[in-house]
Amino acid sequence: MTGNPDPSDTHPATGLDDVVHQRVRLGILAITHEARRVEFGYLRTQLDLTAGNLSKHLSVLGDAGLIEVEKGYEGRRGRTWITLTAAGGTALADEVERLKLLIARIGTTDVPQDR
Amino acid sequence: MTTASVPADGDPRRLLSDVRALTRQVRLDQRVTWLALLVLATVTLVGIPFDWFGMTVRCLPDGSCEFSRRGVLYYWPAALLLAYATIAVCYVRAARARGLGSRVLPYAITGAVTTVVFTAAWVAAALYLPSHPLPEQPLPYWWLLLDRLLTPWSMIGIALLVLARLERNLALGLFTVGYLAMVLLVLPMNNGWGPPHWGIRAGMALPQLVSAVVLLLGAAGFAAARRRHR
Repeated sequence: MTGNPDPSDTHPATGLDDVVHQRVRLGILAITHEARRVEFGYLRTQLDLTAGNLSKHLSVLGDAGLIEVEKGYEGRRGRTWITLTAAGGTALADEVERLKLLIARIGTTDVPQDR
Repeated sequence: MTTASVPADGDPRRLLSDVRALTRQVRLDQRVTWLALLVLATVTLVGIPFDWFGMTVRCLPDGSCEFSRRGVLYYWPAALLLAYATIAVCYVRAARARGLGSRVLPYAITGAVTTVVFTAAWVAAALYLPSHPLPEQPLPYWWLLLDRLLTPWSMIGIALLVLARLERNLALGLFTVGYLAMVLLVLPMNNGWGPPHWGIRAGMALPQLVSAVVLLLGAAGFAAARRRHR
């Protein structure tokens, strides 16, 4: 039999985006989505990361076009603000949907059967 | 059973739980609920003397009195617009100081719209009622509710419901439902309260005082809850 497989038959894990499906980067997207706009320091505190580590994750998300980084000054203090792009919002929504599907799948079909 | 593997770091339950926890924390950090209630309580308290001294009362020989609450009309539109602007600015500044954006703008816009609605209703009533007096028979209950709804005290509650929705703040939602039930169903905001010898001015001031105290208590409660959370 030929033809495309029914999307509902594919496992949700097959559609996961490696850029988003990572604890820290998903956290960055979730915080930025809720906050509309978030400062670098807030992300570092909430995600318990070093500045270097957070910068690397931000670069990955920025290169993928999921966030925008804006650097500026408040008084004499430099501040970096992160905002979510439309693509970032979509990627976050897709990831959350897939996670819910995965959990539902684990709860139903992937339960080990008694033999 | 699928062979697709999910790394330990990507355990879906943990990831989803992390997303929910982080989202909740952001919402908590964005809130300055106590400040919004404090500003609204202050505006309500300051409005009492405006209503008292701005009210014109004309008593007829048969013992009945007619009154016009011009003080409400002159004070509340400007006071409410100023209050919503103050709340919006404080919310944005507080969120910014914590490193976050803010979601308060729709609340401020709703507040401004409800202010325009209440003002338009009061101006229309002031223009219409002198030439079309209300009938002598008791007014229907829905009329009484509508009359109370179109007061600044109820409009404060309507806008607070929007703030509770924006903040996904269940506690504020419950507080606001209680507040609205009080100003719509319990307190006679539109026709006074108290023993007859108090007079119309005191009778009108008392419900306003109660509503201001409730807002103040709400502000104190939310401030205490925030301190405990920190």
